[in-house]
Parts: sequence; C-alpha cells; structure tokens
Amino acid sequence: MSVQTVSEGTAEARRVRRYHLVLIGVALLIVALSLVRVLADATDLTSSGTFRAALGLAIPIGLAGLGGLWAERAGVVNIGLEGMMVLGTWFAGWAGYQWGPLAALVAGLLGGALGGLLHAVATVTFGVDHIISGVAINLLGPGITRFLSEVLYREGTAASEAGAGITTSPTLAEVPTVSVPLLSSGQDWLGDLESTHWFLLSDVAGMLRGLTRDVNVLAILAVALIPLTYYVLWHTAFGLRLRSCGENPWAAESLGVNVYRTKYIATVISGAFAGLGGVFLVFVTQKYVEGQTSGRGFIGLAAMIFGNWRPGGLAAGASLFGYADGLQLRSSQAVTGLFLFGALLLLGYAIMQARKAATAANRTAGTYTAVAFAALGAVALLWLWLTVDTLPNEFVFITPHVLTLLVLSVASQRLRMPKADGVRYRRGEQH
Amino acid sequence: MGGVTLLRNKFGKLAISTLAGAMLMAAAACGGSSDSGSSTASPGASGEASQSGSLKVGLAFDVGGRGDKSFNDSAYAGLERAQKELGAEIRDLSPAGDGSNRGELLRQLADAGYNPIVAVGFAYAADVEKVAKEYTDVQFAIVDSASNGPNVTGLLFAEQQGSYLAGVAAALKSKTGHLGFVGGVESDLIKKFEAGFLAGAKATKPDIKIDSKYLTPDGDFSGFKAPDKGKIAAEKMFQDGADIVYHAAGDSGQGVFQAAAAAGEGKWAIGVDADQALTVKDQALSKVIMTSMLKRVDNAVFEYIKAFQGGAKGGSDVVYDLKTEGVGLATTGDHISDIQDKLDEAKQKIISGEITVPDKP
Repeated sequence: MSVQTVSEGTAEARRVRRYHLVLIGVALLIVALSLVRVLADATDLTSSGTFRAALGLAIPIGLAGLGGLWAERAGVVNIGLEGMMVLGTWFAGWAGYQWGPLAALVAGLLGGALGGLLHAVATVTFGVDHIISGVAINLLGPGITRFLSEVLYREGTAASEAGAGITTSPTLAEVPTVSVPLLSSGQDWLGDLESTHWFLLSDVAGMLRGLTRDVNVLAILAVALIPLTYYVLWHTAFGLRLRSCGENPWAAESLGVNVYRTKYIATVISGAFAGLGGVFLVFVTQKYVEGQTSGRGFIGLAAMIFGNWRPGGLAAGASLFGYADGLQLRSSQAVTGLFLFGALLLLGYAIMQARKAATAANRTAGTYTAVAFAALGAVALLWLWLTVDTLPNEFVFITPHVLTLLVLSVASQRLRMPKADGVRYRRGEQH
Repeated sequence: MGGVTLLRNKFGKLAISTLAGAMLMAAAACGGSSDSGSSTASPGASGEASQSGSLKVGLAFDVGGRGDKSFNDSAYAGLERAQKELGAEIRDLSPAGDGSNRGELLRQLADAGYNPIVAVGFAYAADVEKVAKEYTDVQFAIVDSASNGPNVTGLLFAEQQGSYLAGVAAALKSKTGHLGFVGGVESDLIKKFEAGFLAGAKATKPDIKIDSKYLTPDGDFSGFKAPDKGKIAAEKMFQDGADIVYHAAGDSGQGVFQAAAAAGEGKWAIGVDADQALTVKDQALSKVIMTSMLKRVDNAVFEYIKAFQGGAKGGSDVVYDLKTEGVGLATTGDHISDIQDKLDEAKQKIISGEITVPDKP
C-alpha cells in the first residue's frame, strides 16, 4: 500500500517538473526571440501581425491534426483527413452563403463527419486497409465537391448570379470576431506597448495582441478543443476505452468495451474535426475556393506525429508551422533573423552539453561530439546571418517545412504511436 | 517500435503512388462528366453551323473551368462571339480539379472533328505539343504560351504593358508613396506583371517604394488558390504603409481585396485579368478595387478563330498588346478618370515604342 502511494507521489512530482520545464523553456524561447528581434532589427519576428497570421495558419492544421489524433488513438489510421477537410470547406461554403455562418459551421462539421463515417464503415465494418480507404476518401472529397459545384453553381443558377463559379461559392456573411477590451481594442494598451519596441515587453505585448485582437470566434473554439480533447481522452472512462482500442482492442474487448462502436465514434469525430478545419478556412476567406485546403490535412497528420500522438505536442507542431509560414509570408528579412535565433539555440545547447561533460560520469566521446557539432552549427548560422543580406525566395518559401523538419529531427527520437494503430480488428479474433 | 514506423513509412510511399495512379483515373472520369454538362450549349449551335459551313471550334478550359468570372469566362465570351458572328459550332470542356486530363480533353475534341481547338492556359503547353503532333491536320491555339509546333498558334499577351499602366495609375493615386504587389506563383508569366508594374510606378515617381511578395514558388500552383495567404501578405504591406496593392494571384486576390477593405479608408487594391470590380459580387470588396488590369482573352480567341477562317495557319505567336487592345485598364467605379489623360499619354508612348516595358523584374 505504502509503496504504491510513494510511486504515485513521484509520478506526480515528475509530471509537475515536466510541466514547469515546458514553461521555463517557452519563457527562454521568448527571451531569445526578443533578443534576436532587437539584434536583427526584424520587428516581424514578434509583431502582432505575425502572430495573428500564425494563429490563422496554425488552426486548420491543428484541427486536422486533432482529427487524426482522435482516430489514431482509437487505432484507425486516418490519412483521409485532407478529403474530409475538402468536404468541410465545400459544405461550409454552400450552407454559409445561404443561411449564414452558423449553418456553415454545422454543415462543415457534418460534411467532414460524413467522410469520417465512410472511413469508419470501410475500415471498421468491412476491415478495409486503412491507407486504401483514406486514399479513396482523399480522391472522393475533391471529386464529389467538384461534381456538386458543377451541378449547383453552374452558369445560370441563382448561386452563379450571387457570384459562384465552378471553383468558388458565393461570398459568406462576415464571421463575428472578438477582441479583449482595453488590452487589444479600444484603448489598445498592448498596441501602444508593442509600438515602443522595448526589449521583451513589446515583444510579449505583440504576441498577446496578435492572439487576442479581432479573433474569429471559431478560433477560440478550436483552441479550446485542444485541452478538451486532452481531458476527454486522458481523464474520462470513455477516453480510456477509446485509447485502449488503439493500444490493444482484444484486451479492450475482453473487458467488455464495444470496440466497433468506439472506433466508429472516434472516426466520425475525427472527420468532424477535419471538417471544422475546412470551415475555418472558409470563414477566413469568406467563401469556398476549390483547392484551398492545399494539403493541410496531410500537414495536420504530420503535426500529430510530430506531437507524438498527444494534443499538446500537435498544437506545438501546428503552431511552429503556422508561425514559420506566417513569418515567411510577411517578411523575408525576418526569416534571415531565424539564423541568429538558431545560432543562439545551438549555443545554449552546446553550453548545456559542456556543463554535462563537466561531471565525470558523462565525459564520453558522444557528449564532446555533440558540443563540437552544436558549436560548429552555431558559428555557421551566425556567419550566415552576418553575410546573407536577402535570402533567395526559394529558401524563404520552404522555411516552414525546413524548420519543422529540423525540430522533428531533433525531437523525434522517442515517438510512440498507439500499438494497434492501423491494425485490422475483427471481433472475437484474438491475435 | 522502429519496425512499426518503418511499416508506416512504406505505407506512406505506397499511399502516394496509389494516390497518383488513382487520381489519373478519377480525373479521366471527371472529364467525362464535365463534358456532358457543358455540351448542352452545342445543339442550338450545330443547327446554325450546318447552314453556314463547317466551322467547328473546340475549347478546353484551364483548371477552374467555366464560371471562374475571370480568365476562362473571358475565353468563353470570345468563343460565343465566334458562334454569333462567324456561325461557328462550339464545344467547351473543363478539366478535372487537378487538371491531369488536359491531353485527354484535346484528343476528345480532335476526335469529334473540332478544328481549330483552343487550349486556355499555359498549363496546356506540354499536352498541346503532344496532341498537335498526333493530329497534324488540326489547328491548335494555346493561350498564354508560345507556339510549340507547326500547327500551334501561341496567343500571348503583353501583360507587362497593361501592368505598366496599372503601375502609373497606382503611383499617381498613392498618397503614401508606397505600393505593393502580390503574385500568386513565382513563374515567368507572373513576373511579367510585376516587371511592368514596377517599371510604370518607378517611371512616374522614381522614389516610390514597392513591396513584392509571391505566395508560392514556381511549380506549386496552390498560390493561385490561397486567399488566406494573399490576405496575410497584403495585410503586411498595408501595415507597413502601402496604400495600393496590385495582385496577379488568381483566386488568392480575394484575400488582397479583404486586406484592403480591412485596412480602412484610402487603401486600394488593383485587380487582374477580368474587371474585378464587376465580377467580385461582395460590395465591401468591390468598392476597394481601384481598377483592374484587363487581359482580353475574349478578343484573342475571337481574332484567332476569325484568322483561322481566313486561312491562317499555326506555327507562330500572336501577341495581344496595348495597340491591339489585348490588355488595358478597367474604368469601373470611375476611380481613375481624373488621371485618364496621363494614362493615355503613357499608353501612346508604349504603342509608339518610345517606352519599352521590361518583362522581367
């Protein structure tokens, strides 16, 4: 009895420590970023505009990733997210121009959920390979929506009069946005603080202002879904059952869990979240444009893997990609500032490793190599920052991909997917 | 554990190749369906055609197809004019969403006896080259791309000349002395727009500041379909003090208009291809469109069909420029009527050859 409480206690302590470490890490990153902003004179690294753009770009990716998380935690690989997202955009556009944003939201959710349901029927009921079914949905999504557009938006229809075309829906009414009073609207204290360009204070103000000014209501909902997902999947009985279907469905079955039903629910929710990502894109553009998802479903899936099949991790992955994409769209000069940022990070890493090597136990060849490489990398990046005046566009475009790859290559050593992810499960067939 | 990830990677590769293969099939299927949808225009036309001879004109749209309120619809307008004025029998086909069945559409038209066949958009270049070799007795025209065969006519536009005028107008109208340009894809075609705009603005006000941003690199055509990214890029320009932003970004232009509308009073956007102040139905957006750089694809298509009837053969390019009214500025909203004389002056100088507009920035 006492042993158990002790082990629980240490687990608790470890979790608290990790949580604190994350906070400290984020704080350090912000300080480093502010420093780089001052040194490189690249206001956009921490401007409210960049963070606003980052939020807008990260949300569809994050929602797709969240969709992937729900399905894969229940053991269903969902590469059909892109197709479900496309369904979400089309239905949101179609319902939105006729009955307003709320209808767009519902229709987009349902459209995505329909894709999820199809995936569930194929993979859970008929035991089709998850990849095949996912690919089929990725083909079906654009195909069905194109067909529907050709039927409903063709020349001569009322929709066409309202501005629709084969590839676009008519314009939607504007979606309400909210701001935090005093801080980021009206008095706009954060805006005043940001424009002073003080070290750290203005940077934090810029970040907060970007994330709190004129925020689309759906963005708030989307962000709230991250902790909600964490709570449901890790702190409720339903969540435990769902995850057990992803780890070992036969064990779950032996304990009385209805695995089929659980997988169905998870996959439909997965599709709905992907559809919600599509709705968000439509809300930003105020209309459906064919191809506007442009692979975000796949990037969302990558963000989920990046985040080790955890909500917090996938949010971090989506944010990183969104930030880098927003930055490169706004200012290529600020992208060059990332060289300095990288040099600073590597320098910090080198110092950490060097301190580790100071204790006799860790004095191994590996540690020294790590220190040497990190120091070398830092020097190289610093040199790049000093010499590169304007980065060629080709490099600016790939910033988000390169940055994500770099972080992933450093952080991906301990990824663990759900054990029975993608495994075909038949009731009563114990493997 | 590594085995699982490896398996996953293999699945990924398999998925991609399956995806590519299956897309081809789906695309072929889609082409068929869109064909039946748009051929409804034909029966009436064929009646006319049988009386006036056998001019059968086929037209294959760019991705986006009919009803894009821009490029494709403009091409269709030219086709319709040929139907009315030249008594041509017409037929139009739209490619699948990913455009993978372009060659298929051209063959379909050629097999059905259509001659000449007009392909809309530079993306057809490779397919036209191939199909033109297979059907040597059929005449082809390709919009926005150079001739690449003895029976292919390239219908080109001097976009840089029209963009030059847009640059002149923007420089004259700007109060902050700061302009912006948002390009969809960093291809040679879109660079012509940027080059002309820059040249026109600089010639009018040498110290003017111009921010340029492309949304995607050459080859990644999603930049024409990313209004959210267009909005971010234009937002930045307006925040930095630009008051007029010109776009050549297809559907992404919607985002540029949104950014201009959100930036408030005195901020403008310049549209492209079609008269976007008319085609953008949203009142809040159409009122920030100062003018649009028109690309008269309709004129080009009609003139080509007319020339074909007169016996013209392919193998060369026809450039539609300011002189032939192939490009120009829209005047909807009367936002540029006060500077019309200066625009006409610039136009005359370009036509007379006094000004040569560069086509690379």
